[in-house]
Amino acid sequence: MNTPRFDELIHAPTRLSLVAFLAATGWADFKVLRDSIGLSDSALSKQLTTLEDAGYIEIRKAFVGKRPRTSARLTSNGRTAFDRHVLALQQIIAGTGGSVVAPGQPAGQAALRSGSHEADDEVLSGGSGATASAPDHR
Amino acid sequence: MSDQVEPAEAARALSEIDRRREQVIRRKVFPAWWWWAYAVLFTELAASVESGRGVLIGIGIALFMAGSFAIDLPVRRAARAAAPRRGLAPGAARRTLIGLVAFVAVLVGAGSATGLSLKAAGVPHPGTIAAAVTGVLFAVGGPMLVRLEAAMLMRRSGSRR
Repeated sequence: MNTPRFDELIHAPTRLSLVAFLAATGWADFKVLRDSIGLSDSALSKQLTTLEDAGYIEIRKAFVGKRPRTSARLTSNGRTAFDRHVLALQQIIAGTGGSVVAPGQPAGQAALRSGSHEADDEVLSGGSGATASAPDHR
Repeated sequence: MSDQVEPAEAARALSEIDRRREQVIRRKVFPAWWWWAYAVLFTELAASVESGRGVLIGIGIALFMAGSFAIDLPVRRAARAAAPRRGLAPGAARRTLIGLVAFVAVLVGAGSATGLSLKAAGVPHPGTIAAAVTGVLFAVGGPMLVRLEAAMLMRRSGSRR
């Protein structure tokens, strides 16, 4: 069982988006990450390098035909750090006396009920890095 | 640092995490045309088999295999680029399998019932018509099944935390 641990490296808005995306997938292509998180190539490379240096992700470079293809995925350390960070966030909200997770409901939505109602529409604040936007690719 | 994080900010962070998970789950892997392309391939295969002529059957099977390979390429690529990881939603794999088996059973049942009814009524080319009906069901029901699976994944992965 993981214990809550707030992780400053993960909490930075762009990296939080990136790690949250990677936590839901296995290997993810650079292009998919760039388009999904809404970053430039250089900004994404920088964030991936930071996470790789911390041992949170591994990066794979391969060639498909003549085209280079870069993919990334969370390492087990990265996954553990992310899970612990989520628990820490839930604990912060639980400290206010609200429920963190209602049965059958995503954690964030439940958390919002106990926290600020305008939170859903706002971009994450605090931390470092570029502001994340989320273009809809559905 | 966590002492300095306000509950509202933590809530925003959790909301962002949920949003990214949803982005992965609802990412479009099957393009709309994929379902209809398979519907056409089913019909083409049934028509060639129903013709009863060896050459046509051979061509039909070859076309079906080549067509399947070609239309599956972009789907395989999209799935490889970022698919929801296994274990994202506990118990989801079993439900997905049940949904898939039920969908196939409905398709086979509808196809067989249509084909047999048409044959009994003396309608020409019952197999081809039945395959076309099955293809339409596949093209209409497939995307619905995918959406249902995504909704189920969202529910189950959300309640885990």
